[in-house]
Amino acid sequence: MELNLDYLIKTFFLAITGIPTTLEITIVALLVATPISFFMAIYKIYNVKIIKQIITAYVSVIRGTPIVLQILIVYSLLPSLFNMAVKSMGWNWDVFSMNPIIYAYIVFSLNTIAGLSEVFRSALLTVNTGQLEAAHAIGMTTVQAYTRIVIPQALVVAMPNICNLTVNLIKGTSLAFMMTVKEITSIAKIEASFGYNYIESYIDIFLIYIIVCSITQLLFSLVEKHFRSYKSITKAS
Amino acid sequence: MRPFNPWFILEVISDLLPYLPVTIFMILGSVFFGSLLGFVLARAKVMGRRIPKLLADCYIATLRCTPPIVLLFIVYYGLPELLMSTIGVNINNVNKIIFVLVTFTLLFGATMSEVMRTAYESIDKGQQEAALSIGLSPYQAFYRIMLPQSVAVALPNFGNALINLMKDGSLAFTVGLIDMMGQGTLIISRNFGSYALETYIALAIIYWSLTILIEKSFGVLEMHLSKGKKSVAE
Repeated sequence: MELNLDYLIKTFFLAITGIPTTLEITIVALLVATPISFFMAIYKIYNVKIIKQIITAYVSVIRGTPIVLQILIVYSLLPSLFNMAVKSMGWNWDVFSMNPIIYAYIVFSLNTIAGLSEVFRSALLTVNTGQLEAAHAIGMTTVQAYTRIVIPQALVVAMPNICNLTVNLIKGTSLAFMMTVKEITSIAKIEASFGYNYIESYIDIFLIYIIVCSITQLLFSLVEKHFRSYKSITKAS
Repeated sequence: MRPFNPWFILEVISDLLPYLPVTIFMILGSVFFGSLLGFVLARAKVMGRRIPKLLADCYIATLRCTPPIVLLFIVYYGLPELLMSTIGVNINNVNKIIFVLVTFTLLFGATMSEVMRTAYESIDKGQQEAALSIGLSPYQAFYRIMLPQSVAVALPNFGNALINLMKDGSLAFTVGLIDMMGQGTLIISRNFGSYALETYIALAIIYWSLTILIEKSFGVLEMHLSKGKKSVAE
């Protein structure tokens, strides 16, 4: 097997320019998903009747379908929906010239909301109800009890799962090329199509994802250690 | 814009379902070979010899960070050339399902090894010691005592891994395998790009029902197995 090393190195540095886009999608998805999925988790824990069923169905659909299908559905549905909305409002604005990264934000946010709500729910359930009752007993409001007592404890438990979810999200963004978003995969693929150097391009993508995901995991393990240190201090005292 | 046609979804589902066996064959094949690979990797990690453990750790860490689609294309473009240049076998004309099977075996092996290892480690070491002390050989102790208990622990994680495998397996159409997704894209191009949304929704419905089916059957299986567990504990 002959690998074109010059091409390999050249494309590696070219594809690296796609990392900001990948991280942008990841971070936007996480930022959008965090508050929504937190409230979804709370609604589910408190057994709010109809809302709980809606949330359960939503999570089931999102987790039960491949992300590539979600991408294809959103990408074939939303542009024309937006177009209709814009036309009916009488605005003079071309929807189809919009940066396709918007659709990537939407798909990956929808996906992350489902995953994160389950992570939050299981984490919140691990905190003993006595904690909340104790916080109420010393006169805290429910909001205070949650932000000061329950959430910090739940976050320690949730950290490994959030890490997993983030890594999967980063891996998932490799499919954004289907929406013509210019991220790592699509840059390297386009480069490969000039001279049919597909193996080299995919090796580059492979290496970049390993680097990005390993750094993410490292960062998460540092954050986790930081949280854990609080826990051991409170235990010792 | 052409109006949305819900009846077309039903029509497409009946066109897609004949390709379900391809998807199922791919899943079963990957599960079989992936479990073998996972067993080897988990064994390497549990045994704790330095070099096999290091290799298994590296493999699992690498595969955890690889998007399925990237691995799929590396295998698809790389494997024929690798075999051609090393042993001179030309596999350019074999069925595409081989590449898909290789890819998902590699991926599922990494997941499976972690599922197996955590399940094995969750069983109390005392169980093995007790088995050895009553005169079972290490082999018997593993197959009669450790394995049945580990299986019960591993079941929920295995179910999750299976669902993820099925969802990732939907990417196989990108290398040209005609499974349900592949047939779906063919139907869309046969209709000159119209009815795309209906076809995708039909596919989503099929995948969703498969996920629910797997979830429910694992739930039943788990209840069945953990029932035995409880009666032992009492």
